[in-house]
Amino acid sequence: MKAMKRYLYDGTADGLFSAISWILEEEAEPENVVLAEREQTLFEDGFFIATNVTQAESLFVRLRNRAPDAAYSISLFMLAEKGGMESSLLNYIALVFTHGDKVSGYLTHPAVRDIVSLAKKAGRELHRMKGLLRFEKLQDGAYLAKMEPNHNIIQPLASYFCTRLRAQHWFLYDVKRRIAAQWSNGGLQFGTIEQFITPALSEDEKKVQLLWQTFFKTIAISDRKNPRLQKSNMPMKYWKYLTEKQGE
Amino acid sequence: MDTLTKLQILSGAARYDASCASSGSKREASSGGIGNTSQSGICHSWSDDGRCISLLKILLSNDCRYDCAYCVNRSSNAVERASFTAREVVDLTLEFYRRNYIEGLFLSSAVMQSPDSTMERMVRVVETLRLEEQFGGYIHLKIIPGCSSELVRKAGLYADRISVNIELPSQVSLQRLAPQKHKDAILEPMALIGREITSSLVERKADRRAPRFAPAGQSTQMIIGASPENDFQILRLSQGLYKKMNLKRVYYSAYVPVSDDNRLPVLASPPLLREHRLYQADWLLRFYGFSAEEILSDDLPFLDETFDPKTAWALRHPEFFPVEINRADYATLLRVPGIGVTSAKRIIAARRFSSVTPEGMKKIGVVMKRAKYFITSSGMSFEKAGRAPALIRQQLLLGEATATLPSRQLLLPGLFL
Repeated sequence: MKAMKRYLYDGTADGLFSAISWILEEEAEPENVVLAEREQTLFEDGFFIATNVTQAESLFVRLRNRAPDAAYSISLFMLAEKGGMESSLLNYIALVFTHGDKVSGYLTHPAVRDIVSLAKKAGRELHRMKGLLRFEKLQDGAYLAKMEPNHNIIQPLASYFCTRLRAQHWFLYDVKRRIAAQWSNGGLQFGTIEQFITPALSEDEKKVQLLWQTFFKTIAISDRKNPRLQKSNMPMKYWKYLTEKQGE
Repeated sequence: MDTLTKLQILSGAARYDASCASSGSKREASSGGIGNTSQSGICHSWSDDGRCISLLKILLSNDCRYDCAYCVNRSSNAVERASFTAREVVDLTLEFYRRNYIEGLFLSSAVMQSPDSTMERMVRVVETLRLEEQFGGYIHLKIIPGCSSELVRKAGLYADRISVNIELPSQVSLQRLAPQKHKDAILEPMALIGREITSSLVERKADRRAPRFAPAGQSTQMIIGASPENDFQILRLSQGLYKKMNLKRVYYSAYVPVSDDNRLPVLASPPLLREHRLYQADWLLRFYGFSAEEILSDDLPFLDETFDPKTAWALRHPEFFPVEINRADYATLLRVPGIGVTSAKRIIAARRFSSVTPEGMKKIGVVMKRAKYFITSSGMSFEKAGRAPALIRQQLLLGEATATLPSRQLLLPGLFL
């Protein structure tokens, strides 16, 4: 068996894409390459590829032109923020350039399966949060939604709500990652929050929440109670911020 | 009466309406307004019975003039009555939508003074939402049978989906259990809606700005188990509705005993398994290329309780199997028990690169529990056992003994349009 060549990058997304771009140009057989994040140890085995933002961007643009669906899968995969998948991504991208979009059907290939299944998972949570996110109205008339998703979905989620709730002033807050998005006057901004101070709710907020909780209870047919099905569709990890599941 | 009490009464009264889909319509948000719709639909919550909640599902009023035996809101039933004002419904919809509780509004109603006056009040609600509030979210509006065609047309211009409930699977049952409702009053608006949808699609091809008519199509609902029709009659009715009236969905609702009227059967519990099998058969009609006559016949008028309708069909047709997964076309793959739309597409996508092996089937995520008895891969069987239907039947049953009971889910969330 041939020895695997080892390359390293700095751990950032830009670093990852510039490394992949570099390897695809220099290496004839990317399947014989291992790509990993550099660790801060003195004696590390492998060749370090420096980050080059322009190169990273140009790789993504080429991907989008060659295979838009695969490029979308890759951007979903990146939301999973999962380490140790760099070599799979490298091989997947190499396959995308040979086969185009239909490569995502090549699920018997391990690298394709790694990337596509993680992208699916992230995509599923993104779709789910479009439904499960709950806003609360604050004293100043703005709306705030808190969440703790497994995947880092705040960017695509926020841009989804930009069109849907465009006349509202709102915030999204990822509690675990401490990232917030703000939409006001037609502009979307992201930022990190050092210390989150729970703002006061508007006066009528509790009244509206009670209306929703009442609706939630009465719409169920009691002869057909099915808590297992409810939990499988709406896992309990999401209940923390669900208005209708408060006080249960 | 305050809004909270009304909401309690009028959402409780709407809970037996099965439809919850919010899919099939793509409405862009207007610049000053609120809301849009998404093609695939979005579920916002799941209630304690496991059904998805995507719309604020309410009646405008439960104060009914009619006395249908199977209905909670029948005039002879002693329940508390309430009616919303248009403003109350508009405000509830907007407040819920702004907090992302819902995809939109599902508005139905009991028949108040007359079909026309009731429908007029319902149309006024959605008119206010669309024109005054520039609401771009999803709206599903029920049509009250017997209202004027002018009101039906107006409803279709504001709503994403409109529906007329067929209620019971035959004219005889309708006459017996809902004497104030008439088959013609139900089928007439259905046909009108079908025509309007088609002509709006034609007009919009010529001119993108032509008004849309119920872009998410029309659906209907019938109650299962309150009247004596068999599954074959029901499926043939659905087939006709899909083919002739161009319906998007037929919903089946297991009869939940809400009355001790002696015209109704006495049931220990709602026939949920029957409802589940009907939904499976309905899926076969819409997405799997089956006809009602293939699924059932006059000699076999009820769906098998033990096996899903596709497995039951496969067991009756051993000559069709085994299917070779590396050569069979899409339509043939879809006939294999356990292989659905997703799996069939995945198999076809994967075999472009190399032939699919038994190991590969697992890798691409095809569930082999049932499929393994009915397929070969490059000529090799997956199961050593003989292919006699009796044996397969037995093995399927043994395999299923440990499996969980069929899901009691009433609706499959918006996976399909």
